[in-house]
Amino acid sequence: MSTIDPRIHQVLDGELAADAVPSELRRAVVRLAAAADLLAAPPAFPAASLESRVMAEIRRPVPSRARRLMRWLVTPRAIILRVRPAWSVAFAAVVAALTLFTADDGGPELAEHEGIAQFVGRFPEAQSVHVVGTFNDWRPGSIALEDQDHDGVWRATVVLPAGTYEYMFVVDGERWVPDHLAERLVADDFGRENSVVIVRAARR
Amino acid sequence: MGVRGTPPDAEVVALVLAGDTEAFGVVIRRYEAGLLRFATRMLGSRDAAADAVAESFVRAYRHLASCREPARLRTWLYRIVTNRCKSHLVRRSVAEVPLDDAPPLADSADTEAALERADLLQLVERALADLSPDKREAFVLKHVEGLSYEEMAAVTGERIPTLKMRVHRAREALLKALEDHA
Repeated sequence: MSTIDPRIHQVLDGELAADAVPSELRRAVVRLAAAADLLAAPPAFPAASLESRVMAEIRRPVPSRARRLMRWLVTPRAIILRVRPAWSVAFAAVVAALTLFTADDGGPELAEHEGIAQFVGRFPEAQSVHVVGTFNDWRPGSIALEDQDHDGVWRATVVLPAGTYEYMFVVDGERWVPDHLAERLVADDFGRENSVVIVRAARR
Repeated sequence: MGVRGTPPDAEVVALVLAGDTEAFGVVIRRYEAGLLRFATRMLGSRDAAADAVAESFVRAYRHLASCREPARLRTWLYRIVTNRCKSHLVRRSVAEVPLDDAPPLADSADTEAALERADLLQLVERALADLSPDKREAFVLKHVEGLSYEEMAAVTGERIPTLKMRVHRAREALLKALEDHA
């Protein structure tokens, strides 16, 4: 329900001439138009910085297929462990045992409608790696990956409610690393490039 | 349709697709001001806006062949920047950004009129930041960038009645903020 006279919208949408409405409504129109004019003032940006930045990026040669393959091999990727209800109880027990082995907190216990996602990334120089995503409101610091044997491969096993999540890695608390080469990406008119993890419920 | 000068957008796109990388500079110069302003109003931060627009131009270049209507390049670019801004907003709330980071007025002379204008701009920016991203996007596209509802539909993928409703709600919120201030 509109809280202002609909004729104000009609004038602003070009459906009604401004002089066809009473002066008090015209004042509201003028106020809104003035507010829009203020917002339309050009922001102050360093001259030419954006163009040179973009052109430098697009002039870089595209890596060869071999190089891209190498990048694919060393780029951090998420490994998704899906536990289906149809699988045997024995397999679920193995999953639980493996999780217990890799997690410090004694291993996750799966509630109904929960599943397991395992995140693995190779960051040889990193001091810390976290995973952020729609499952933790993109809050850095809440889910840490560990590199217990100091081989540069960081891991975390996370119990999540069954569902589809987008995620990224955060390296050293400041570098957000999307998985550009992941097989599953949210491709929405090129505006997003987050990796996608699908967690299926272990039990239903 | 291209804006400001020649060659038209479709011709520039054809040049780039034919291998003339430098021709993409024409696209950047032609649209960066509007896209930066739009992204700044959406994100409330010049730095975040510059990142979003730069990333969008790079993606536009790499996917230029998929621009089905080069003559409507402007709409296509706004769509990419819109999605990029939404992606940024998912990661952090615009309310977290200090408004000091918003662009200063062009006429920042220390006059009473300039100060009044600065106060009013701050008020409008706060009201804009309080809107949901969908309403903010609709208002900025309509009233700051001057897009038609048809162009907005092409940019956002939303139906025109939905966009009109969002613009109306945004106007109401802004007008209330202005009246409360008066």
